[in-house]
Amino acid sequence: MVDPKHPDSKQSDAIGQSFKPGTRLSMPRTGLATLFTLLSAEGFRLVGPTLRNGAIVFDDIATPADLPVGWTDKQSPGGYRLEKRADQRAFGFVVGPHSWKQYLFPPKETLYQATFDPVAQLWRQSGNAAVGSGNGAGGTAFIGVRACDLAAIRIQDRVFIDGKYVDPAYDNRRKASFIVAVNCLEAGDLCFCDSMETGPEVTTGYDICLTEFDDTFLVQAGSGRGEAMVAQLPVQPASQAEQKDLASGLARCRRQMGRQLDTEDLPGLLFANLDHAQWDRVAQRCLACGNCTMVCPTCFCYSADEVADLGEDPAQRERRWDSCFSQQHSQIHGATFQPTIKDRYRQWLTHKLASWTSQFGTSGCVGCGRCIAWCPVGIDLTEEVAAIKADAETPVPLPAYQPVPTAQAAEPFATLFATIEATVTEVVAETPDVVTLSLVMPRGYQYRPGQFNMLSLPGIGEVPISVSGDRNGIVEHTVHRVGNVSAALSALRPGATLGVRGPYGSAWPLAQTPGRPVTIVAGGIGLAPLRSVMRSLAEQDRTTVARNIDSQWVRLVYGAREPEALLFNRELALWRQNAALRVAVTVDHSTADWTGNVGTVTTLLRRKEMPVDGLYLVCGPEVMMLAVVRLLQTAQIPPENIYLSMERNMKCAAGHCGRCQYGPYFICKDGPVFRYDQVAFLFGRRGF
Amino acid sequence: MAAKGVLPRVGVFKLASCDGCQLTLLDCEDELLLLAEKIEFVHFPEGVSFKASGAAEREGPFDLAIIEGSVSTPEQLQTVREIRRQSRALITIGACATSGGIQALRNFVDDDGVNHEALQKLVYAQPEYIDTLATSTPVSEHVAVDFELRGCPIDKGQLLELISAFIRGRSPAIKNESVCFECKRRGTVCVVVADNTPCLGPVTHAGCGAICPAYRRGCYGCFGPRESAATESLAAQMKNIGQSEPEILRAFRLFTAGAPAFEEESRRHE
Amino acid sequence: MSERVKVYKVDLLTRVEGEGRFYLKVKDKRVVESRLNIFESPRYFEAFLRGRAIEEVTDIVARICGICPVAYQMSAARALENALGVVPGASIRALRRLLYCGEWIESHALHIFLLHAPDFLGYGSAMEMAVDHKALVERGLRIKKAGNALIALLGGRAIHPVSVRLGGFTAVPSSRQLADFRPVLQGVLDDALEAVRWSAGLSFPAFDQEYTFVCLDHTEYPLEWGDHIHISGQGSVPVGDFHTQITESQVAHSTALHSRLKDGRHYLCGPLARLNRHHQRLHPVALDALTKSGLALPVRNPYQSIVVRALEVVHALATALDIIDNYRQPERPFADYVARDATAAGATEAPRGLLYHRYRIGGDGLVKDATIIPPTSQNQAQIEADLVSVAPQLLALEHDRATHLCEQLIRSYDPCISCATHFLRLDIDRGDSAHGINQ
Repeated sequence: MVDPKHPDSKQSDAIGQSFKPGTRLSMPRTGLATLFTLLSAEGFRLVGPTLRNGAIVFDDIATPADLPVGWTDKQSPGGYRLEKRADQRAFGFVVGPHSWKQYLFPPKETLYQATFDPVAQLWRQSGNAAVGSGNGAGGTAFIGVRACDLAAIRIQDRVFIDGKYVDPAYDNRRKASFIVAVNCLEAGDLCFCDSMETGPEVTTGYDICLTEFDDTFLVQAGSGRGEAMVAQLPVQPASQAEQKDLASGLARCRRQMGRQLDTEDLPGLLFANLDHAQWDRVAQRCLACGNCTMVCPTCFCYSADEVADLGEDPAQRERRWDSCFSQQHSQIHGATFQPTIKDRYRQWLTHKLASWTSQFGTSGCVGCGRCIAWCPVGIDLTEEVAAIKADAETPVPLPAYQPVPTAQAAEPFATLFATIEATVTEVVAETPDVVTLSLVMPRGYQYRPGQFNMLSLPGIGEVPISVSGDRNGIVEHTVHRVGNVSAALSALRPGATLGVRGPYGSAWPLAQTPGRPVTIVAGGIGLAPLRSVMRSLAEQDRTTVARNIDSQWVRLVYGAREPEALLFNRELALWRQNAALRVAVTVDHSTADWTGNVGTVTTLLRRKEMPVDGLYLVCGPEVMMLAVVRLLQTAQIPPENIYLSMERNMKCAAGHCGRCQYGPYFICKDGPVFRYDQVAFLFGRRGF
Repeated sequence: MAAKGVLPRVGVFKLASCDGCQLTLLDCEDELLLLAEKIEFVHFPEGVSFKASGAAEREGPFDLAIIEGSVSTPEQLQTVREIRRQSRALITIGACATSGGIQALRNFVDDDGVNHEALQKLVYAQPEYIDTLATSTPVSEHVAVDFELRGCPIDKGQLLELISAFIRGRSPAIKNESVCFECKRRGTVCVVVADNTPCLGPVTHAGCGAICPAYRRGCYGCFGPRESAATESLAAQMKNIGQSEPEILRAFRLFTAGAPAFEEESRRHE
Repeated sequence: MSERVKVYKVDLLTRVEGEGRFYLKVKDKRVVESRLNIFESPRYFEAFLRGRAIEEVTDIVARICGICPVAYQMSAARALENALGVVPGASIRALRRLLYCGEWIESHALHIFLLHAPDFLGYGSAMEMAVDHKALVERGLRIKKAGNALIALLGGRAIHPVSVRLGGFTAVPSSRQLADFRPVLQGVLDDALEAVRWSAGLSFPAFDQEYTFVCLDHTEYPLEWGDHIHISGQGSVPVGDFHTQITESQVAHSTALHSRLKDGRHYLCGPLARLNRHHQRLHPVALDALTKSGLALPVRNPYQSIVVRALEVVHALATALDIIDNYRQPERPFADYVARDATAAGATEAPRGLLYHRYRIGGDGLVKDATIIPPTSQNQAQIEADLVSVAPQLLALEHDRATHLCEQLIRSYDPCISCATHFLRLDIDRGDSAHGINQ
């Protein structure tokens, strides 16, 4: 359900946000050719429906003769056929395997380019590669956009341009697009836009809207540009009969729709039924082929990879359509969060129909039916939902959508994918496979503990690295060498430069620490994002806290696999000397010269008092955080007093590529730090 | 150009194969000379002879060994073990090296009890002089392999990507996803949904760029199974569109018949 | 080793397709051993084709060779279509010829520039050669690339095309697509003509031989079509009867079947056979290049095959351009057929020579029996005989140079060793001491 008048939408006037639709006019069929000519004359590239290989696809078109005149589509789950019509309608069909996203959000696109400067021996970002270009000098005119597809475009607007970060390429292409929409008076076999409230009537967001009859077109302007164009068409006021035909046609279309999706309480309902047997049943059929996500007009997940040829330049970072049905989508080093087909189908459906509402304020589904037609085994999501609803648990509350106030956009260093050059001043080897890089950041760079930066090495890759502290304008990043990029980062030496963008993400609740007990529980590399918290707390005025009770102190409970894996040994020693802190360290496996605690972090924590009014900050491997949280819960700690830092696969860090999703959250912008009650309904559950 | 001594030493080897994957390297017409500046081919019989240039026959060690072809003779078994010993990194290219190839068909005993021995007799009047193994197997069955590049043949762009990634020290952008991803990115109309054509795309590893559907035929799985290949569900779909049991069996028992997911599915239709 | 005995051998032939070695032993100035040992491991294609659907054959046989997959697909299609009684329409046949032209261009360019030219200029590889002869190597790569691009356009990809099927193609290009592609071929025609001039100017070892030439017969320079096979000195036989003209025998230590004529003679197929028989049928542009090259006909020196291949590249390019200019997109990309019990043969001219397929098929649409005789198998006996013939020249040369001359001779045949479904395995029997093939 799209709210077209959403006050926080940043869409420009060019796409009709604040324009009052003009009166409906009538033009003879020959007027369509005039419209094509006018658009071409203005320099628009025309794209629209045309016949190819047994389907109606979108391609470049020049005249109305290129449209599928006299053809319609017969669709069924897993089936699509063309059929000749009895009439010569040019728009007598619904939707095919293509959607308009292939023009606004192309399947493949260069995000970033860097060339090698052989004199300075370093990589420099070079130009804005392919940002919004390549669509014709005057932009692109989309001919024949259905109401559902129009809603889909506006839904993708929410993702790419209405959030905290703007995708500049999408934004440019969107501003340069001209939309000629078309009302549907005949429902397709798989349509359910009516129950999704996205159609069949075109209401807003277009430049010109057409309704096709046998002899005439109804024409309505939806924007200033549209109005200017309509003024040049052979139009006259629409007749009463035409207006009635439109109304009755739309009503008939609604009645014809053979399926519906009951969206009442759907988001909470799906998340309340994550163990429903229907997920197992659909997983038997689902091929995880990804076709549904590819044809879906709103799916936006993408992958980003280095594309660097043998020559020195340029190195490119390229994005490609990806899907939650691929294995790499949920993969980080050492873990795949959605290994089974069941996990992936459930991820897709809960994202589309549930998480999306928390993320963007609308459903992700517009009822176009493409996923049903183009699924090789004909899975129908309306049937899947109905099966779950038939015997469902009561819905759970999901986080509410938080629109981004316009003023907050464009934070420093937030231009998507553009990096700043940072220089390494110091490299400290913390353990055999962990180093801390100290980077000189530009003046004005600020971060809050818990946030991260994206560190970029052109030709190698880009990864999120937590900020682990700062000193005199130097920002420290602690890197765990787990793959090729982290290995290359670990091999940098003082004087080397790299690209940085950030800071991203949420922060630890430092504001809540004064005057209460604080317990920091860290495992392995998890101490890194917490180090700057410890430093702050070490300097905090805590005279109001009773000092003679152990539990009232600032306590660090820290564990690693073995003594060699402990981070920040010197700092640990310093903290031990600090009267304001209590430090307890343990290892899973001891060595001959280890005299400290042996056992897991939870074992150590269990021996301590856990005040219910304390604040607990936890970071480490997810299995460790799970054990700690369970322990804290048995100690009656309220969920609002527990904070975690989570990790998922991350590429854009801006909430666009979709890879870091955790249920309704994007780890990159809603996290990585979460208050436990936010994630309690999902935490510890396999498959998310 | 750096001194020859510091270029990675690369060896290209051939076992039982048609040579198409090695040829893919020679087909990098635009990049071949540039490649020769970045790596040193110390063993590449198809492309390079050393005698004429006066250098002694090269052997290991190798920074990178590239192997094409399946293990199908006792000699080849020894060869791969030796190559592994001598190589820092070892990659296999093509369906033969990664799954046994089309010649892995001899691994299957058919309805008439025809097996490897019988095949030898069919072709050779005096089979006792033929020294082949009963099976044709991928290299990874015998030694550790650092990367398996799929394809019959492999895709030229992916080969260059793999070599570039090796030279640069980054992860190769080679995705274990379904062919459907590539097909849809390309904008091709699905042959399954629109034409009822049998197609292995949903269960096949991407990399070719989805050529077959672009030429209006179904994918025949020459890149082998992807991860999470839901072959049972696809086989059920094939049956629904009218494929017989023998046809479904043959579909899964072709160029990558030796890959476990395909082999298992083919056996379900015996 | 005494002065009386000289051994020339290369344990792993390089710059040939596939794995082979040769061994030549001369004692008292007489050749006592001449062996071309091909140790490419057998893959049993003819055996596992049995029981496959006839629709699968074109995909499967392509995998016999990575350099000439189109040849296998075309020969298989011809043989199976003969068995089915299908004759594709003229446009389809033209497209097949066009596809085949792409393969001739690619395969010959590969051989001329990457495999053979280094021998003539004294380099170990084209990459080394490029340091001093960059323009030459780049010319070769350009031509090869154009050939590959043509195959990829029609077939989906350059190696193991996907669009070839019984009756025609799974999809055919539009006239517009071919017209857009035309400049790619036109752009390398000059390169190909220059290749003829350059190769004709090379110096060749004096080595004229008497050959029995075997090639396809047709009203045009033979490529993808021909209903008769010509045996020099004997005349033409229908393709379906070719198997009665040759015998396959197994030599005592060999793992391959030797293909010889009925009377035991060895024979030669390939570019020399084609040019000598059909030079008048060359495309005018190629005929003109032949005349200007000064190459004397008939060509009986295998070392001169490099010139013949260059001429055939010109012929293929010019033919391809003509086909494109006259192309009319067929209404349907393939002709229909009905499976039936039948046996038939088909032959086409692969870049390396005559490629013969014979199938017995059933009404159930399955292959019952398959016989595939590749050109390299047919040439093996001739290669060995030529090694014997070249021996006297070797004795006068320094050992390494002599060995190289043998290698160069073997390369002249452009052997495609992976193709041979039957392999010749030669064990060297020294008689006087234990030397195995691994020495």
